[in-house]
Amino acid sequence: MKLSSNKIKSHKDTRAQSHKDTRKRQHWCLCVFVPLVCLVFLLGMASVPKPKVYIQKLKNGHFKLMVERKPYIVKGVCYNPIPIGKNHEYDWWSDPNKPWLVDGKLMKEMGVNTIRVYQPGEDSEAVKRVIRDLYEQYGIRTILGHWLGFWEYPCPLYGDQVFEDRIKKEVLDMVATYKDEPGVLLWILGNENNFSCLGQVNPWSTDEIDKEPDPQKQKVMKARTYYSYVGEITQEIHKIDPDHPVALGNGELIGLEYAKDSCPDVDLVACIIYRGKTFGNLFKSLKVTFDKPLLLSEFGADAYDAYRKKEDQNMQAFFLESQWRQIYGNLANSENGIGNCIGGIMFEWGDEWWKYNQSSPETWSVQDKESNWSNGSYYFDIQAAGNKNMNEEWFGIVALSPEQEFGLDKRIPRKAYYVIREFWKNPVLDDKGKKKGKSK
Amino acid sequence: MKKTKNQKILNFALVFCILIFGFWISCFAQEGNKLAGLTKQVIEAKNNSDLYAPFSELKDIYFKENKYSEFSEFLTSLLAKNKALEPFINYYIALSRYQQLKYLEEKQNWDEYFSQGNNYRDQVAANLEKTISLTAKNDPLHIYGQLLLWQFHRDQQDAFEEEALLNLMNYVAEYANDTSDIQPIKLTADKLASYGEKGKSKELYKIFVDKMLASNITEEELSKAALEFYKQANLDLSEVLYDAYIARITKPDNKEKVIPILIDIAKAFSYKDNGPSDMSYAEQIFQKIEELGPDGVFNEALMYLRAYNLEKAKEYRRARDIYLGLIKIAPEGAHVDEAEYKVGIIYVYVLKDIKTGKGYFEKLAQKETLSPQGASALYQLGLLAHWENDFVKAKEYYNQLLERAKEGFSDTVALAKTRLKEIDAASPIDYNLQAFLGASLKEDSMNIDAAKSNLSVSLYAPKKDQEVKILSGSYELENGCMQVELQYLWSGELGKITVPSEQLSLSPALNTSYADAGTKVINVLIISPTGAVDRGLVMVDVY
Repeated sequence: MKLSSNKIKSHKDTRAQSHKDTRKRQHWCLCVFVPLVCLVFLLGMASVPKPKVYIQKLKNGHFKLMVERKPYIVKGVCYNPIPIGKNHEYDWWSDPNKPWLVDGKLMKEMGVNTIRVYQPGEDSEAVKRVIRDLYEQYGIRTILGHWLGFWEYPCPLYGDQVFEDRIKKEVLDMVATYKDEPGVLLWILGNENNFSCLGQVNPWSTDEIDKEPDPQKQKVMKARTYYSYVGEITQEIHKIDPDHPVALGNGELIGLEYAKDSCPDVDLVACIIYRGKTFGNLFKSLKVTFDKPLLLSEFGADAYDAYRKKEDQNMQAFFLESQWRQIYGNLANSENGIGNCIGGIMFEWGDEWWKYNQSSPETWSVQDKESNWSNGSYYFDIQAAGNKNMNEEWFGIVALSPEQEFGLDKRIPRKAYYVIREFWKNPVLDDKGKKKGKSK
Repeated sequence: MKKTKNQKILNFALVFCILIFGFWISCFAQEGNKLAGLTKQVIEAKNNSDLYAPFSELKDIYFKENKYSEFSEFLTSLLAKNKALEPFINYYIALSRYQQLKYLEEKQNWDEYFSQGNNYRDQVAANLEKTISLTAKNDPLHIYGQLLLWQFHRDQQDAFEEEALLNLMNYVAEYANDTSDIQPIKLTADKLASYGEKGKSKELYKIFVDKMLASNITEEELSKAALEFYKQANLDLSEVLYDAYIARITKPDNKEKVIPILIDIAKAFSYKDNGPSDMSYAEQIFQKIEELGPDGVFNEALMYLRAYNLEKAKEYRRARDIYLGLIKIAPEGAHVDEAEYKVGIIYVYVLKDIKTGKGYFEKLAQKETLSPQGASALYQLGLLAHWENDFVKAKEYYNQLLERAKEGFSDTVALAKTRLKEIDAASPIDYNLQAFLGASLKEDSMNIDAAKSNLSVSLYAPKKDQEVKILSGSYELENGCMQVELQYLWSGELGKITVPSEQLSLSPALNTSYADAGTKVINVLIISPTGAVDRGLVMVDVY
């Protein structure tokens, strides 16, 4: 059958019309359905709540700590307010004079936004009260840590199932108890426990490790055992608390090459670093070894000149200011920095008078001027006898006085308090004369 | 009369004061004149090259009295007079603030440090940026700006350090292509070397020397320059120059001429207690001599020097080989006893080959005339038998030593007497020595290479009764803040120690001296609470 030209034309017109209609329909679909789908998608996204605290990895590979969806630079202090005359066994959490209120006020005025405690006290209600008071009254958040049995007698038994299960339960109980406290910032697992894998402090082993004749291989086996255990706990924490990051506490960067494979799930690394004026190549080394965000979870300087045998607040302020300058130079989006640092926690808020001679209670009421360790990076007083220049009882940003105030040993801010306060108000972010916006 | 005398004294004092005041005024005026003169030179300079010297002198005047802020103010005032001076002024303001920060830290002038520190740092960075942007790449000031910028970031170990170093190296390389003034290259290399950037400094020294070679420098001038830098203890640059010099003079047909020159260079760089030495470079030259020279090029003295140099570099295996070569070519030579004894020590305590080591000790002990090393060899034979619980044999060796030593070798004899007392009292060998022997000789003992230990001695060739300091380098255990107390178990031929014995085990250093000539072996075993972590030995030759 042959169609006439008109018919063909008419057919063509009809087809064209039909095409137009289809296009219109498609256009309508595009105009209505696509935004609708997007809206549904966005609503869906919005209904999946972001964790309260999380790490954001930026396109440039830098890391930011986000709290309530806002960038947060940790400006912290280690906190262990042991009064003069007491030692580490003192339960300050239940102190009726509430030292954290006096300290919290001073901290807030200085610009501190975070405290770190190494392990919560036994009375969970008392602990919650401290966390709440600090958060609600001063906006200060709390990092809670756990020693992971590092100080257990005779030694931590990593690799031993019974020991590991017991410690893991303690950690998970801690997380379950405090995870809903709005003031909690994150968890730190361990402190300098990695040094025990090298065998010089708190040494431990397992039957399998003992069978290995090569001491170097033994160290590697220990590191893998320990970090795998941390990785296992991290996974369990993530299951019960998706709202707070988990940090691996680590002395220096030692052993992190094994952590990379053995505990890849940790959200960040919390390093204890005492390198004097600066942190050297720390930020870059971590980037290469184990590309995780870095929290300087313990650093600082003491305020006693062991060589001249007198307090030297300037020396402490000098080191701390220099250290903070480097921390700020390596925050996310820093121009030339590595961008993996999320802040720092100075050791420590207040002096602790019990630390030098822990076994002699009569010395806890005296601030000892003796040093029991040496660190050449703190060079002003390294010529002290035996090069012992680190005075454990003089690390406080605030000194303690036996004079009582509010029922507590009087707090006397040292020079570092004011120097760091000024630094935080107006941080120097780079050295090319460009100042950036003030941090939170 | 008395009044007149007093009057005279008063007059004299008055005149003295006037003279002193006059002198002071004159100095002040001279300095003022100098400043004015230099300022005039700077303002009237016709080109940049005329500015380097007066600016440098001005800097010296102000820096001598640590007047950094005054210098900065003076420089700023100069800028108002002549805008063309801007690159120099920026550079010297930066240098002034950089030095000022160092000075404030050194003098612990904290008030100014904390109140002005950031301001000064900003000034350093900003002024250097300006200097760099205002100068051409072939201008020495450009290089000085880059160098100071790197130093500034390096001192702070900040995020810009790496970039600044990279820029510096690149700009110096570019500069070298485009200029005949090579001093900035050397100055940069010197500075890099002083900061411990050995690789980078050598790279620049190489460029510096290449530029020298390209300028038709004669062989004699090259050698003279190398020697001059050697005398200045700039061994890196001296070595690069000597390498170039050796390459230039070495031709297939003039080996005979080259060998004595190489020997002189090797001697200069070999280990010596006083004066510059680079043992590794000396050995490189010895190898070159071996390569070029005929058989027998190493005479007894040269072979001894080479072995001694290797021994001091703790290259014990190579030292043993050369000492053996020495014994072979000069079996009756002046150093043969020392060589045999050292070979024995290396076999026993470094290579754990007790049997071979004993063979060398026996050889020494059997010599008709007992040398200091022969006496020590008898003691070692006794000690090894003692350690192996062969008390009869041990006593035999110790007694033989006492008998043959007569009135001599008091240091070694004293040790033998102590060991004999231990055997007679059925008590164990001195704890430190026993621990060292165990760690060194047992099959299952720790696998620590004594050659790599960090022991050093202030004088390896002291005279009798001359004080010697032996130091175990800081042994860093990785413990973080948890300090581990280390014990240093010193043993061996310790001589007259000045540290009280109860403090000895805690001290990483000891001071001693020796009453008799001979080769003294000193041992240390480093113990942490969990066991031995390191061991080491050194040999001191007392003359």
